[in-house]
Amino acid sequence: MARLALDDVTKEYRDGEMSVVAVEDVSLDVADGEFLVLVGPSGCGKSTTLRMIAGLETITDGEITLDDRSINDVPAQERDIAMVFQSYALYPHKTVRGNMSFGLEESTELSDSDIAETVEETAGMMGIEDLLNRKPGELSGGQQQRVALGRAIVRDPDLFLMDEPLSNLDAKLRAEMRTELQHLQEQLGVTSVYVTHDQTEAMTMGDQIAVLNEGTLQQTGTPLECYHQPNNLFVAGFIGEPSMNFFDGSLEENALVTESLAYSLSPDLRRDIEAGTDLVLGIRPEDVRIDEPRTDGQRFAAEVIVVEPMGNENVIHLRFDDAMAGDEFIVTTEGVPTVSAGDRVDVEFSEAVVHLFDGDSGVAIKNRTLSFSGTPDEVIP
Amino acid sequence: MATHDTTEATDSTTGPSKEVVTWKTKLRYFLNSDFVRSSPYWGIPFVLMGIAVYGGIGYNLAISFTDYAGIGRPEFSNLSLEMYRTALADGSFRQAAFQNFVLLVGFTSVSLALGLFLAVLLDYGIRYKETIQTIYLLPMALSFVVTAQVWLWMYSPGNGVLNVFVTALGFGSIDWLGNPRIALAAVIFALVWQFSGYAMVVFLAGLQSLPSDQFEAAKVDGASTAKTYIRIIIPQLKQASVGAAVVLMLFALKAFDFLYAITGDYRPPNGTDILATLMVREAFQYGQWAYGAAIATMLLLLSLSVIAPYLVYQYRQGAL
Repeated sequence: MARLALDDVTKEYRDGEMSVVAVEDVSLDVADGEFLVLVGPSGCGKSTTLRMIAGLETITDGEITLDDRSINDVPAQERDIAMVFQSYALYPHKTVRGNMSFGLEESTELSDSDIAETVEETAGMMGIEDLLNRKPGELSGGQQQRVALGRAIVRDPDLFLMDEPLSNLDAKLRAEMRTELQHLQEQLGVTSVYVTHDQTEAMTMGDQIAVLNEGTLQQTGTPLECYHQPNNLFVAGFIGEPSMNFFDGSLEENALVTESLAYSLSPDLRRDIEAGTDLVLGIRPEDVRIDEPRTDGQRFAAEVIVVEPMGNENVIHLRFDDAMAGDEFIVTTEGVPTVSAGDRVDVEFSEAVVHLFDGDSGVAIKNRTLSFSGTPDEVIP
Repeated sequence: MATHDTTEATDSTTGPSKEVVTWKTKLRYFLNSDFVRSSPYWGIPFVLMGIAVYGGIGYNLAISFTDYAGIGRPEFSNLSLEMYRTALADGSFRQAAFQNFVLLVGFTSVSLALGLFLAVLLDYGIRYKETIQTIYLLPMALSFVVTAQVWLWMYSPGNGVLNVFVTALGFGSIDWLGNPRIALAAVIFALVWQFSGYAMVVFLAGLQSLPSDQFEAAKVDGASTAKTYIRIIIPQLKQASVGAAVVLMLFALKAFDFLYAITGDYRPPNGTDILATLMVREAFQYGQWAYGAAIATMLLLLSLSVIAPYLVYQYRQGAL
């Protein structure tokens, strides 16, 4: 168990004249026993960051410390870190028992009988004791995944790294393993860093999530902070499924004017914004009210294009009257759908739930009103 | 199949005229089938191969049971295993067999070990690039005759390169190929030079097909590079080693051309006689056709005994 810190860590790949910065000035702090999820799209540098922590990539600049001890120059073999690979990387010629005991044999001084005992114990905890004498090729994908986890856990490492460990499982198994992994991590209390491109995994599993894009850190915070109070347009768009709706426009007089709507801003809100500034209005699909009794928000007429009932919720694609074809926005409602394709409806955007972003820099100017004293439901007006 | 055909014929036909049509139709279908129509393409090589290879093997086997010695025609009326008995009792046959065994084991194991060593070195150095391996494979591109000539010069007792070094170090000149006690080792060394590149390429292909995450997983597990290769990587090269070993062993069994080229004569240097050279000498130099044929048959059986376990192994792995 340990506390992990990254301080302005940079990774630059040089090939002759060419230079690619894969990770730039990333600083992270993972408290003892905390579960941090690194999330971002493909090529954002999250795996590179993880591999630098593991010692599989060198660090171009910055420092990584484990319990305040710099590990920049410590070889991977001596870091006492366990890692689960996306491909599992099980040793195909060894049995499950051999796979699990290899790390203990190489990195500890334990006797053979102690190793055997530890392996049996961990296998029991993972529910794979029946598989101990089989080889990886004889196991299903889900079983291989368990073995890969078991191989990492059995070493009782300081730090537990996982590189998209669930991405090769089918949807149902993935959801199960998500829960199980969380239980396991809580039970073991090992500091963990988990890499994924799946924002659902990030939201559901992490104590903290760190959103990366193009090698730079966009935001760190609890999942709900990132969801409700994104630092910028990227985080707002990346976290949440379906994504937040965005409308590009600019401030004219007292309203945000876009191609299809003019949204008046309260004096409080527009006080610090210069007229003519490019702005982006953002609103989460579940925060739009459709054909409901009017509250304090502003209403606009729109046409329903497609309704996708999912059972528990409905994903409704809508378009404003004078918007271009293809320029749709999405609203989710609960229960049985009350509208169908072709219907004309009124949608309402309440000022409490809209986000405003700077059109040039993407930085959040205003996030939805929310306090984190309780669950979001309690504070939504 | 037959019953099915008859029921079909009785069911679908009412008179004899119709049955004739069915028969003709069947013939036409047969002549039009892919099997018949493609036969000129596979049939000719099939027949040629049958006569040249299996016919040859069969004829050789038949001769080995006679006592044909090159005069007149072989006499097939009195077949016996006499030639085999003679061979097993013959001192020069036993010596050739023993030397062949030494060559087989020494040459195969040294080539494999050296090839594996080179492959690991190359793999470690160029894991993500591809270059140098051609240098090591180049000897394979040379004809055995060329290799033999080159090594003949190198081993030359008068002014061979090796003796230049040896004498420079203050030792007396060594007759590498002339001394029966070291001649076989010298031959094995030259053959290893030529074939270890092949073993290396086979191993290197195996190494490079292993995903990098195996190395990384072992590294994170705390294993040193040497331990990673010994415990994780090399055990996964079993398939490659078996394949390379079979090829090398088969070559060792019939390494006639190299030894023939060294002397340009049926008689290889003392101490390097093997079954293949003995067989050719008996048959073509002394005209002991039946005796030569018996040796050839035993050589074939030895080769099959090398291949058979390999085929069984492949079959068990599901590769056949």
